[in-house]
Amino acid sequence: MNKILRTLIPFDIAKGLSVTGKHFAKVFFTANRRKVPFHIVSEYPEVIAKVQPRFRGRLTLLKDEQGEIKCVCCLACEKICPTQVITIDKGKKEGRKMPFPVRYDFEMERCIFCEFCVESCGFDSIILNHQFELAAYNREDFSLGMEGLGQNMYEPSPVGKFSVADD
Amino acid sequence: MFKNEEMEINLGPQHPSTHGVLRVKLRLDGETITHCRPVIGYLHRGVEKICENQTFFQGQVWTDRMDYCSAVANNLGWAEANEKLFGITVPRRAQYIRTLLNEFNRLASHLIWLATHALDIGAMTVFLYAFREREDILDMNEAFCGSRLTTTAFRIGGLREDLPPGFEKLVKKFLAKFPTCIEEYENLLSENRIWKKRTIGVAKLSAEDAIAMGVTGPVLRAAGVPYDIRKAFPYAAYAEMDFEVPTRTEADTYARYLVRMAEMRQSARIIQQCMDGMPEGPVMAKLPKIMRAEVNEVYHATEAPKGEIGYYLVGEKGSGNPYRFHVRAPGFINLQSLPKMAEGGLIADIVAAIGTLDIVLGEIDR
Repeated sequence: MNKILRTLIPFDIAKGLSVTGKHFAKVFFTANRRKVPFHIVSEYPEVIAKVQPRFRGRLTLLKDEQGEIKCVCCLACEKICPTQVITIDKGKKEGRKMPFPVRYDFEMERCIFCEFCVESCGFDSIILNHQFELAAYNREDFSLGMEGLGQNMYEPSPVGKFSVADD
Repeated sequence: MFKNEEMEINLGPQHPSTHGVLRVKLRLDGETITHCRPVIGYLHRGVEKICENQTFFQGQVWTDRMDYCSAVANNLGWAEANEKLFGITVPRRAQYIRTLLNEFNRLASHLIWLATHALDIGAMTVFLYAFREREDILDMNEAFCGSRLTTTAFRIGGLREDLPPGFEKLVKKFLAKFPTCIEEYENLLSENRIWKKRTIGVAKLSAEDAIAMGVTGPVLRAAGVPYDIRKAFPYAAYAEMDFEVPTRTEADTYARYLVRMAEMRQSARIIQQCMDGMPEGPVMAKLPKIMRAEVNEVYHATEAPKGEIGYYLVGEKGSGNPYRFHVRAPGFINLQSLPKMAEGGLIADIVAAIGTLDIVLGEIDR
């Protein structure tokens, strides 16, 4: 008897509908009235998500106050990289005691953003910045180096070149 | 004119309900499955061989990419296996933070299981709600280690950094709302007549079969075997935690659903205990400058969300990389029970069987 009643009267469906109905009502009565402190989803190209301070983005070479590259070619990052995306050539520069990187190449298409390179660096000369819009149309755009068409590795990094938000 | 013939069909490899690139060869008699064989290997990358050519430190990034839904749990197994090999003792605060993040990862993995399993069977709403909570956990991952999915969270010997400022607030906020969220999922599913019809008595796997095939995790516990490595061989800080191992005896899809829901509640309890009893101190042990293994081998098993994940490592004398590396992946071994579950059932129920095993193909193929 009890089973027939439960089959005829859909309490289980009503229970589920009450959950979805509650959420629907919450959105329906608060939408576009600026009463909701935050929405769960944000509309991405217009509202860019805030990343956490430890976010691991693109590799960036840093310069000191005099505009000199901090890197001293200890090759620690090149050795520790699990995917071998960093290539450094040692060189000399006038008026600088420490070795100077003639070439610092970074193949971004193979980078897995593990931050092992930054961790291994004893001179704080590289960081991973907070850039996450890293898409590009050409393969050459992923090969970053010390020189090139806006594709160098210094700060400020070429943010927004391929960003949807800028269009 | 009409012939009775068995028909062979392929489920997958590009099928939304196979959770990746799994191909299942099926032989059907009408709608009944008479023969079922999973075909794997579409996502094979050779992780074990790659890790043998890299240092112990570098190998960790590959463990992220095996079971990408529970990367932190994989990292923990890797880090602990290496610490066993080198004989490193991890500071107590690091153990607690590892336990905390591991349990968060268990929640995230179970949520993604619930979402996709319910979506396969036909309940779409749960998918959206479960992903809403998973987002908070991923944000915490990002706050701690800078990445959301492929975390590389731990290091051999401890952690890279301490918890970020404001992390406790995030955890508190999450724990305050999470019990009501579980109730929401249960209101949507537990009593629902369609859900019950699709899951009760479907894809049964008895305890004897499960043990014989080496199945671990919630699938084994739903058959009534209270085997959980967190209790049986405690690692990290689980020896100091107070929690229960939920079991059921029905051994069907519905029982596995109930076990995983109960496990989520227990995870929330462990997280609360971790936050309450968090000790002070350093998070990184003193390591030698260059890690060199003496010849010995270790096997270290931890309880990943999907079951027992074991890392087998052989060190070579004077070498910086493992001589042999092998992973006992829970998904790979659990998948072997799919023919037992599916044969004799209906073709519509194999979707439930695949969903309830909670497989991730990145880990099965490696």
